[in-house]
Amino acid sequence: MKRSNEPVAWGLFGAGGMLLALVGPGLVVATGFLLPFAEPAAAFHAVDALIAHPLGKLLLLAAIALPLYHTVHRLHHGLQELHAPLPHGLVALLCYGSATVLTIASASWLLVR
Amino acid sequence: MTRKPYRAPQRWSWWLKNPAYRRYLLREATALPLFIYALVLVTGLYRYTQGQLAFTRWLEALQAPGWLVFHAVAVAACVLHAATWIELVPKLLVVPGISGRSIKRGHQVAALIGSALVLGAALVSWPLAGGAS
Amino acid sequence: MSDSIAIYVARYRPGQDEAPTEQRYDVPLSTDLSVLEALNYIKDELDPTLAYRWSCRMAICGSCGVMIDGEPRLGCKTFLREFADRGELHLRALDNFPVERDLIADVERFMDHLETVKPWTVHNSERPVSEGEYRQTPAELERYQQFSQCINCGLCYAACPQFGRDDSFLGPAALTLALRYNLDSRDDGSAGRMAALNADEGVWRCTFVGYCSEVCPKDVDPAQAVNRGKVASTINYGLNLLRLARGEHDT
Repeated sequence: MKRSNEPVAWGLFGAGGMLLALVGPGLVVATGFLLPFAEPAAAFHAVDALIAHPLGKLLLLAAIALPLYHTVHRLHHGLQELHAPLPHGLVALLCYGSATVLTIASASWLLVR
Repeated sequence: MTRKPYRAPQRWSWWLKNPAYRRYLLREATALPLFIYALVLVTGLYRYTQGQLAFTRWLEALQAPGWLVFHAVAVAACVLHAATWIELVPKLLVVPGISGRSIKRGHQVAALIGSALVLGAALVSWPLAGGAS
Repeated sequence: MSDSIAIYVARYRPGQDEAPTEQRYDVPLSTDLSVLEALNYIKDELDPTLAYRWSCRMAICGSCGVMIDGEPRLGCKTFLREFADRGELHLRALDNFPVERDLIADVERFMDHLETVKPWTVHNSERPVSEGEYRQTPAELERYQQFSQCINCGLCYAACPQFGRDDSFLGPAALTLALRYNLDSRDDGSAGRMAALNADEGVWRCTFVGYCSEVCPKDVDPAQAVNRGKVASTINYGLNLLRLARGEHDT
C-alpha cells in the first residue's frame, strides 16, 4: 500500500481547526463587528503597531493561513462527500493551491512592511 | 447455485436520510463561511499594504449590512465549529491519568478565555468611533 | 400497546428479484421479544423462506447485524417494545455491503480488510514455553482493552459513508484492531501494520463522521481508534521524512 501525503494537509487542518476553536469566535466578532466601526486612523495604526513586531507578524500570518488550510481541507472532502462530478486531483489542487498562494502573498505583504 | 448479490451504489443524497449524517455535514459546512472570512482577512491585509486611505475604504465597506449579516453567520459557524471540534478533542488527545471529560472541559475553558482575550485586545487597541464613521 | 406489530423485511431473492422489496409480517408483540426472536418466529411460523444470520442471541457472535429503521443494530440486542408505539419497524440487510439474500449481507470485503492489518500478536522470535508466559501489567492491558471488545459485527461499516462510497477503505473495525495490537506490549508487528494505516485506504480515508462509534454495540469507539491512528501515522510520516533526509529508504 502506498504512503499517503495526507498527514501534511491534516496537520495544517488540525492546527487551523484548533486556532478557530480557541480564538475564532472572538476574532470574527473583533474584525467583523468592532474593527469596521473603530476610528479608522486608530485602527490603521493599531495594525501598524501589531505588524511592527515580528511576533505580531507571525500571529497575523497564523490567523490568516491556518484557517485557510483548515477550511479548504473540509471543502475538498465535502465536495467528495456530495459526489461532486469534478476530478479529485483538480479539486485538491484548487483547494490547497489557493490556500498556499494566499499564504505566500500574505507572508510577503507582511515582510515588506 | 450461482450468486447474484444486489449492490446499491451510494447516492449523492446519502446524508439526507440520517440525522447523524446531517449533523456531520453541518459541521463540515462551517468551513464555507469561515473560508470566506479568511478571504476577508487576506483582503484587509492587502488593503492595509495600499496605505491608510485604502484601509479606511475597506473598513467602510465592511459596514454594509450584507457584510454584517455575513459576519453574524460566520460567528455562528465558528461557535458551532468550536463546540463540535472540542467535543472530538478527547478522542485524539489521550493522556494517561487525565479523563477525557477533563480534557474537554480544559479546552472549553481555554476557548472562552482565548476568544475573550482577542476581544479584549481588540477593544483596547481599536477605540470605537461611537458608531459614527 | 396492541398485541401485534408489523415487521417490514426487505426481501431479496437472487435470480428472482431485481432489487429488494419489502414484505410485511405481523408478529405477536411481547415486551421481552427481540428483533432476532421475531425473525425466528417469522421463519418458524409464517415464512420458512426468509434468510438471515444469527448464532449466539447474546451480542457476542456479531452475526445478526441488520438495519433496523435505518440504523445498523444487532437484532438480538434490540427489542420490539421500542417500536410498540409506532406499531411497525423496517428491516433490511446491513448498508454498504452487497446483499446476498434477504437480510444477509456479503461481508467478504470487511474480512479481507481485517486480514490486511494482521489482527493477532506478532512476535519477532517465538519464546520457548520453558521461559514462561508473556506477562503484562494492568496498566499495559488498560491501554488497548477497550479496543479488544470488538465482535466483528460490521455495524460500523454499515455506518461509515466513506466505506459506502469506496469499499477499498480499510474501515473502522480493521483500523481499530490495528491500533489494538499496536498498543499491546506483547506485540512486535506495529511496523508492518503502519504501512496499511499510512495509506490513503488506511486511516486517511476517514473524515471523522463519528457515527461508527454511535452504533457500536460494544462501546469500542472505533472513531477514537481511527483518529489516534491518524496521529500515529502523522508521527510516522515525520520520522520517515527524517529518514529520507538522511538518505535512507522510504518505509
